[in-house]
Amino acid sequence: MNAPAPAAVAAPFYQAQGDECRLFEAAWQQQLPVLIKGPTGCGKTRFVAHMAARLGLPLITVSCHDDLSAADLVGRHLIGDGQTVWCDGPLTRALRQGGICYLDEVVEARKDTTVVLHPLTDDRRMLPIERTGELLEAPPSFMLVVSYNPGYQHVLKTLKPSTRQRFVAMSFDFPAPDVELAVLMQETGIAESQARQLVTLAGQLRRLTGYDLDESVSTRLLVYAAKLMMSGMSPQQACRTALAEPLSDEADTIAALLAVIDTQFPAR
Amino acid sequence: MEDIVGGWWDRLVRRAAYRGYPAAVVELESIAGQAPLFFRAMGGDPALVLRSTVGTEHGARRRLIERLAGTGTKVELAWRDSQAFYLPDKLDLYPDPALNRQLYFWLMALAATPVPPGDWLNRNRAATAACLAAMPGLALVYQRLLTALLPMRPDPAKLPEAEAALERAIQAALRQPDIEQILPAIAQPPLPVPLWLHPAPPLVDQAGAAAQHEAQNPQGKRPDQRSRRRRYRAQRVAQDERKNGMLLVFRAESLFTWDEYVKVNRHTEEDDDNNGEAAAEDMNRLSIAQDAHTKSSKLKFDLDLPAAAYDDSPLGPGLKLPEWNWKQQRLVEDHCIIKPMLPRDAHPAALPDRLLPLARRLRRQFQALAPERVRRSGEASGPDIDIDRVIRFMSERMSGVAIAEPALYQAWPPGERSLACLTLADLSLSTESWVGESGRVIDVIRDSLLLFAEALSASGDAFGLYGFSSIRRQEVRLQVLKDFAERYDDNTRGRIIAIRPGYYTRMGAAIRQSSRILLQQPAARRLLLIISDGKPNDLDHYEGRYGIEDTRQAILEARRDGLLPFCVTVDREAGDYLPHLFGHRGYVVVQQAQTLPQVLTRLYAGFTR
Ligand SMILES: Nc1ncnc2c1ncn2[C@@H]1O[C@H](COP(=O)(O)OP(=O)(O)OP(=O)(O)O)[C@@H](O)[C@H]1O
Ligand SMILES: [Mg+2]
Repeated sequence: MNAPAPAAVAAPFYQAQGDECRLFEAAWQQQLPVLIKGPTGCGKTRFVAHMAARLGLPLITVSCHDDLSAADLVGRHLIGDGQTVWCDGPLTRALRQGGICYLDEVVEARKDTTVVLHPLTDDRRMLPIERTGELLEAPPSFMLVVSYNPGYQHVLKTLKPSTRQRFVAMSFDFPAPDVELAVLMQETGIAESQARQLVTLAGQLRRLTGYDLDESVSTRLLVYAAKLMMSGMSPQQACRTALAEPLSDEADTIAALLAVIDTQFPAR
Repeated sequence: MEDIVGGWWDRLVRRAAYRGYPAAVVELESIAGQAPLFFRAMGGDPALVLRSTVGTEHGARRRLIERLAGTGTKVELAWRDSQAFYLPDKLDLYPDPALNRQLYFWLMALAATPVPPGDWLNRNRAATAACLAAMPGLALVYQRLLTALLPMRPDPAKLPEAEAALERAIQAALRQPDIEQILPAIAQPPLPVPLWLHPAPPLVDQAGAAAQHEAQNPQGKRPDQRSRRRRYRAQRVAQDERKNGMLLVFRAESLFTWDEYVKVNRHTEEDDDNNGEAAAEDMNRLSIAQDAHTKSSKLKFDLDLPAAAYDDSPLGPGLKLPEWNWKQQRLVEDHCIIKPMLPRDAHPAALPDRLLPLARRLRRQFQALAPERVRRSGEASGPDIDIDRVIRFMSERMSGVAIAEPALYQAWPPGERSLACLTLADLSLSTESWVGESGRVIDVIRDSLLLFAEALSASGDAFGLYGFSSIRRQEVRLQVLKDFAERYDDNTRGRIIAIRPGYYTRMGAAIRQSSRILLQQPAARRLLLIISDGKPNDLDHYEGRYGIEDTRQAILEARRDGLLPFCVTVDREAGDYLPHLFGHRGYVVVQQAQTLPQVLTRLYAGFTR
């Protein structure tokens, strides 16, 4: 069982939405891999960074893409001056350090790539490195965390059931209004009244997901809008740049989004 | 001569009497593209569609000149019911077009806001208060609208006592919406309040409506685009229901729209559609009769014929399927019977000559697409060299750092390109309607299926083609045009050529059965492509919201099973309901029905790239 080491540096700010921190810690103590599902910009990366710092663990993040190979994760031989040198990949490095390996957007990776995770994510907790013949055993503090965005538009991209079923899973969504309010104020220093208007606006815009918009407006975009407002930009313009334009390319949709923004921040 | 002078006088007085600023008019069309999104963002029910109102009589005191001119009796107010939200066709209340435009948005916010029960004045007041509290920006807009409105309201001091009390209550509610008002009882209706929703939106006799379901009436041809949005006020029967109108939730079936099932009981024998429409607009209300014919449709259709004897050959007794009842929020097991059948009179046939050039082009395009789609780069072995990677590798080597086991090949791993596509086409009677030069909708669908099949068979992907129609829940007819196991050849072509329009559109059942078929296909990705020309509907209660919600449910089920449903429609109004069914990314509206074959093949190429 793991016991958290004292946090070396102050953990990045993370406003809990529920008891996800306790859940994560329990999973770490029991040496279980974790899958985090949630829309883009809802705080997944921030959460993992926060937990890693809290538990005093090194964090190694890999953004997955469809060209990511098993060797990219595990490591490869490089040719140096007339000789070959083995070079650990991020997964192996995290394993040796006993830290957290975080695979962001894991569904983007090819299925034959995610298969290397299998021996690590059952009770063996092993990583066989075929090319060097090494068999690495995961130290107790090592933890594997993966995340992806389960929106239906990604229906063609899902995890293999056999991969999926190796993780305990947590579902994230955009924070409740009060939590989001706290996030905005803490992250940007914006005044409460304006933060509240932004959060209400986000609620209005999120009703459109799946109908008029493919993706919901994220907490990340709200933070952007608040930052622009803090820099002295008019709320109107800040919302247009940070909320309306990033969400759509269609003129009618943007015009309607601006009308919705007007209900919170009127044009002068 | 007298006629001419009379007409001139008439026009002059009308213009002088009209309350409004025609020069500052804002039309509903100008905001129609934004309205549904805005309404939903305000919390409005996504299943509701936008419609335009027609004036309802308000019966308030008219100014003398208005009485002289016979105008000023109609006012267009907004409202919502369980099917739609209704906005005036145009607004010219204010001299400033910007204000008229903002009034539209204000009315939508109001209509989207849920309110506690109460009388019409306090419902509007409470909805206003809720909007102002939640939306500081909108509150500012409201103040502008109100400031410009108040001078147009009658002065209570100049009204008889009872009317004055009501007018005072209205003005107080407008000014201070968070303070509850007592609605004075008075026979004379007040001057309408254009910032509020309709106090007594038009109702339909419910008993009459119930009888209406049983009436047999094919879906009519639609009048032109703009008038389709216009909803005609049906004859209201129950006087007392009018009093607590505003946001009453009606039974979904009790509403009639011109484009759906209006049966018009007319006094004269007009044969001309336009005449009928003009008359309807003027009459302001249409009475609903049990036995009348649908005016907008001249289609003849005899439902008494035993279906099986008359046309297609059924393949077996049929399969039972569930249906979603949205009012009960549950799936009713074994509710429909789906009957797979083959089209009658189908003879093996070659592709029609006129389609040959396009078919040849499509075949070439899809053949070229096929290998591209499966080529994978970065393979450790394979028949082709991946030039990009070789170059990268060489340069890395030159600089002294290189991967020992470079993956420098391209390959076509077997089984990787496994895609199955099931195409389900709506063959209901509404596809008989005409789409300009190229004939009827059904003709466009036939050509599309033929060409799409040519393209698909060139691509090598597994595909099946089906058509559907329905006569109540006992007979959902699934035409098997090409089974997945069958080859696309002259036999299957003959079946496509033999499709004919008939009956109704019970879309949910057809989708469920298609999903079952598609789920049996051993492919990694499975596309369920639906070609439609309008809303789901059938003879029984399967229309309006019921049909929409069942279809939505069937699509959700398909998606849950890992299928990818997508809809291609020629219904230009589909933007009102398809996002609710397929999601924003899940459909396309083909503006020009004639281009359906091209749209279909282009889409498919894009999907699978
Ligand atoms: N609960 C929270 N506490 C603190 N900050 C948060 C929280 N939720 C969101 N944020 C803010 O939102 C921003 C985006 O969050 P993050 O980068 O973690 O999103 P994500 O879920 O990883 O998105 P993606 O899937 O696109 O990678 C953060 O930088 C932070 O400012
Ligand atoms: Mg992230």
